[in-house]
Amino acid sequence: MAWIVEDRLKQYQPTRSEPYLTAEIRSHIEQKYFPRYPRKQAALLPLFHTIMHTYGYIAPQAIDEAAGFLGISRAEVQDAVTFYEEFRLQPSGRYVVNVCRSISCELCGHKAVLDKIRDVFGIEPGETTDDDKFTVFEVECLGACEQAPCALVNEDLHGCIKPDEFAAHLRTLPDHPAAAGH
Amino acid sequence: MAFAGPVLLKRIPDDPAKRKLINIEEYIATGGYESLRKAQSMTPDQIIQLVIDSNLRGRGGAGFPCGSKWKFLPKDLHPRYLAVNFDESEPGTFKDRYLTDYDPHILLEGIAIAAFANRISISYIYIRGEYHLQAKILEKALEEAYARGIFGQKIPGTDIVHNCYVHRGAGAYICGEETGLLESLEGKRGWPRIKPPFPAIAGAFAKPTIINNVETLACLPYIIEHGADWFKAMGTPSSAGPKLFGVSGLVNKPGVYEEELGIKMSTLIEKYAGGIKGGKYRAAIPGGVSMGVLGTDQYDAELDFDIGRKYNVLGLGTAGVIVMTDKTDLVVMLRNIVRFFAHESCGQCTPCREGTAWMHKMLNRIVAGYGKPRDFDMLMEIGLSMGSMPGTTICGLADGANWAVRTFLQKFPEDFKARLKSDQVQGVTLDAQAAAAV
Repeated sequence: MAWIVEDRLKQYQPTRSEPYLTAEIRSHIEQKYFPRYPRKQAALLPLFHTIMHTYGYIAPQAIDEAAGFLGISRAEVQDAVTFYEEFRLQPSGRYVVNVCRSISCELCGHKAVLDKIRDVFGIEPGETTDDDKFTVFEVECLGACEQAPCALVNEDLHGCIKPDEFAAHLRTLPDHPAAAGH
Repeated sequence: MAFAGPVLLKRIPDDPAKRKLINIEEYIATGGYESLRKAQSMTPDQIIQLVIDSNLRGRGGAGFPCGSKWKFLPKDLHPRYLAVNFDESEPGTFKDRYLTDYDPHILLEGIAIAAFANRISISYIYIRGEYHLQAKILEKALEEAYARGIFGQKIPGTDIVHNCYVHRGAGAYICGEETGLLESLEGKRGWPRIKPPFPAIAGAFAKPTIINNVETLACLPYIIEHGADWFKAMGTPSSAGPKLFGVSGLVNKPGVYEEELGIKMSTLIEKYAGGIKGGKYRAAIPGGVSMGVLGTDQYDAELDFDIGRKYNVLGLGTAGVIVMTDKTDLVVMLRNIVRFFAHESCGQCTPCREGTAWMHKMLNRIVAGYGKPRDFDMLMEIGLSMGSMPGTTICGLADGANWAVRTFLQKFPEDFKARLKSDQVQGVTLDAQAAAAV
């Protein structure tokens, strides 16, 4: 007999009882962003920027809640969220180090920066340190080519990077990013 | 030719130590928002005609005449929107970011003038997600401008209240394409749309929309202040006005430098950017990687909108010059460029999605030492068949990849041919190897 007795949706998508879209997030989006656009759907990017900032990644439950909140289907939300580089579906380290790998930065030595990070922290692009402090990614042009090679650490741009000094700076970063700096 | 000193960069000193963020008080004290006042005493038709007469061409990469684009808006259809393209993701381009780092109000004044001339209800500044600091600078500048009634008030002579908001992107080069930007603004994935309908007829939220680059809007206050003839006196007949040139790569002083259009690339590099670093000039990309590459004998190319026709590149683009020397491995550089396009292709159109991926894989093989002579022909074949110019894709990303591959192969064939072995690899012909692997 081929009765399906397991709820595969709940199995594969871990849920939690408290919502990801808290009352605070909802009222922030409702008051600041909904009035700016003729359709609620247009507030999707600001909403997910807020979710990324609060949780560091986008859980499947957050996508479900956003669908109801924005008045669109879950498929439409997932469609948009999976398109953008900054919206990550997996958690990452507390500091995300995005090293630019586009042409000017490659000309000016981005490989040395990545090599140094591998030597000091033991991680390749896409990996996270064991203490969950750093994740390093390679990204495309950050728009700071006159300061090549450059990297974005959370929200701070570092330009004219010298690998030794950069690695030393990363080691001095506090364990948890301050709310203002993150 | 009458370039008498910085126009757009006039509030940004040459000495980096003296540069700072200009707030609204300092902006007004140095003549800011005077042009807006003057524009509001003109009629919209007068302003649009003035912009047409000045020959202002878009500074976002395509060089489309700004005044003509404004004229496409249908009369009497409201509301209308202005989308400011601050996505600036083209490698080698950083001029808009540089301008906003120090002088954000010049953009806001340009937006206010464009809004007045075109009866805009809402202006959205679509800024790329990676520009965290610049988004904050713009939010602060907008607060200052709102407090002074520059925004949030009725456009004089109408019942239209004009508002201006920052809309942050989230890391997608294709959202710099105008219809990709509109899709992203509407909260969807940034897949470009087929044109027609053009954004001026049905753009953001299906309403008439104009999309302008940051630098194009930043020119407006000066055109209003000094007039069309002053603007046209700079540059060449086809390319009027001052331009922000970005210089990066292997030069001694990379940065943003303002000069008139038509300046030679050699002058820009030698006079402003401190000359070539660590070698002799070999190749340079004139305006962001989509444009292709200039050869060793094209060092004196004039940087204006005719450069495409004269020097076999796609065009001037964003005027972000990337300099390479005789020490640079050009095959690796082309692989870098093609990897960028393969990564950033939105995937909507088969020729671009598959073509950029194939070119990336082929170049990976060539860099690793497994290139075949027929790779050269295959790269050229793909490079001539995908894109909106051959008519097989919706947007021009594939054309950018085409021109990069085409120009590198045409201007530096020796570099590639030296890497392409015969069909023999490690003593086994590749075809037999492939057959054995099946």
